[in-house]
Amino acid sequence: MARTTTTRRGLLSGLANGLMTLPAAVVYTGLTVVPVGYAVYYSFTQYNGIPSQAPTWVGWENYARIIADPIGDLRPAAWVTLVIAVVGAVLVNGAALGIAMLLRRTTAFNTFARAVMFYPHVLSALIVGFLWQAILGPQGAVNNLLENAGRSTWPFLSDPDWALVTLIGVIVWAQFGVQLVLYLAGLQAVSPELQEAARLDGANGPQVFRHVTWPALAPTVTVTIVTSILSLLKVYDVVLGLTNGGPGDATQTWAYEILAVSFANNKVGLACAQAVLLVVVAGILSFTIIALRRRAEEGAEAVG
Amino acid sequence: MSTTFLRRARGAVVLGMTPVLALALAACGSEAGSGEAAGDGSVRMLVNITDNLTQAKWEELVKPFEDESGIDVKIEGPSGQSVAESFPSLLAAGTAPDVIESIVPGPDTAPEVLDLTEYDWASGTPMADLYSTDGTINVVGVGMQAQSLMYYNADLFAEAGITEPPTTWDELDDALAALAAQDVATPIAFASDWATGVQVQEIWHPQQNVATPGWQQSVADGSSTLGDQFQPVFEHVADWIEAGYTTADDVATDSGTQEANFIAGDVGIYPMGSWFSTTLAASPPDFEVGVFAPPVDDAAAAPGPMGATLAFPYMVWKGTANPDGATALVEYLTTDEAAIAAQAEMDSFSREGLEPSSNEYAGMVQELSDAAPSYVVPGNQTVGDYALPVAGFNPKFTELVQGLWQGRSPADVAGDLTAWYEAEKLG
Repeated sequence: MARTTTTRRGLLSGLANGLMTLPAAVVYTGLTVVPVGYAVYYSFTQYNGIPSQAPTWVGWENYARIIADPIGDLRPAAWVTLVIAVVGAVLVNGAALGIAMLLRRTTAFNTFARAVMFYPHVLSALIVGFLWQAILGPQGAVNNLLENAGRSTWPFLSDPDWALVTLIGVIVWAQFGVQLVLYLAGLQAVSPELQEAARLDGANGPQVFRHVTWPALAPTVTVTIVTSILSLLKVYDVVLGLTNGGPGDATQTWAYEILAVSFANNKVGLACAQAVLLVVVAGILSFTIIALRRRAEEGAEAVG
Repeated sequence: MSTTFLRRARGAVVLGMTPVLALALAACGSEAGSGEAAGDGSVRMLVNITDNLTQAKWEELVKPFEDESGIDVKIEGPSGQSVAESFPSLLAAGTAPDVIESIVPGPDTAPEVLDLTEYDWASGTPMADLYSTDGTINVVGVGMQAQSLMYYNADLFAEAGITEPPTTWDELDDALAALAAQDVATPIAFASDWATGVQVQEIWHPQQNVATPGWQQSVADGSSTLGDQFQPVFEHVADWIEAGYTTADDVATDSGTQEANFIAGDVGIYPMGSWFSTTLAASPPDFEVGVFAPPVDDAAAAPGPMGATLAFPYMVWKGTANPDGATALVEYLTTDEAAIAAQAEMDSFSREGLEPSSNEYAGMVQELSDAAPSYVVPGNQTVGDYALPVAGFNPKFTELVQGLWQGRSPADVAGDLTAWYEAEKLG
């Protein structure tokens, strides 16, 4: 009798849990799963996004076109995106960790400095682009200063290589605030006793960082690398505001190709195929990084 | 921050990756909604909003129509970067406006707009025949905006010893050399983004249409290629870049700044459409400004055909819940004399019978337009019987032509333009 009551109570509890999960599941399915499902479907169609003109099933044609790249515009965009993701992730994480080390102690100045460092991330990415265009453009503030000083101007945005470097610099400036907060939180969790013990054993500053702080930060590093790469892979707004993809196609990213080229020309099927590939690439990169970082995190657990 | 917390955070990152990146996917996957019924008898009009065409001016323009008809006209600016970008998005969302201003029907949008051929007033609007497709009128406007124009600083011309505006390409090269010899900062100015492509096409319209009348149709039927059509002008531009008359900084400088540079007296020649005359009138330079038609190869053929676009183009959405109100509004905007005059004040254009503008710069443009032997549809607004069967021509043209300023050869740029067209026309 007692077992029957317990079983019934368990079933009721499970039912109640299920019912409480239902609203969230419905919202998640409606807002994410269904649109993604449509996107995957459209990626196998030729479709201009206009409801009265039905999509035509074309199978793998959109994907074949992306791979063949008949007009040579997708490969350069993929290359630019890769450079931004790799170089940007290194710089974002390097800057964020370095500044976090400087601002780790809680003082009035450090609290103010943390807010200042995070501020660029609060700005709209589009505004960040326009702002830096006004500063670094051919007739921007920096070049005006150089010209007034009798120096030659610098081609921050007019030379293809310079424009890519400038774009990465602006993205790093705009994004490293988030990683800074994560590193500051991670540094708070590093055991002060272990660091003190290492110092008592005669370790100097760099040695304490290398053998205690850095291993203990391993899980934080994994999170910051993955989040920064995901964010850099879909860079679009800053590009639009700063260079609009130019000069020529020098700063066109994969997301720019999706939104400013394919969508803008009503090639919804092709744009969806490009977006699906972006998700697949992001997924592969993320899981690869996590797998590679597993050993480092095991070391962190030993330190923690 | 504990290790357990970070592990959970990492898991959340991985799980969260899909929804974060799915934003891009969701953009393509959004389900179309039903059309917004205008059951209240109002008419929604999507318009271009610029420094000249402000929301307040649009509302003032339609006020007499509202008073007379009792129809409430709701003016809407583009939700995206432009009307061209917003209209397809609104169609996809099922919330298309009743009237669309500033764009012409493209291959995708043409089936979505109302056929206006049956309305008697439509055939009497300017350029109706040039913008029709097989005799079908689905876009109407109020006048013509000249595109093939070269504004010049007459004071700098005089200092450089240039007594007459050039009429041939050789004379233009000589004029640029003379301006450069006078240490003019920028003998000829181009600008970034859309402007680079439009400007290069503008200076080529006359000679291009002397050499190949109806060149879009020649490209479409395969008797010519896009690369062949534009390689000669690429060679001219490449020569100017090599000579230092225009630099890579130009195509990284927005058109607003280049216009300010012209007004400041730093530019010898500035190729731009007739709308620049409104900007000049608003900020008159302290030097004399002149305007001349882009050159042709043979002086006997000057002036060549004028590249021209339909001023204030209006279309009616086929799915409108209020077709009578929408077409009545378009009829008012394109046939009422007071409405036409008001639009001419907003953004100058030419129209037979229109009172001469008090804007002296618009007057010079009008003279050139009157002198042109014919008007031709430019490449960046291919429409009707002169439509190229591709989308996104000007953005791609701009992207490729900017390569000239980065050292690419005219032949390579022309080859890429042809390759792009061949790939795009296949869909």
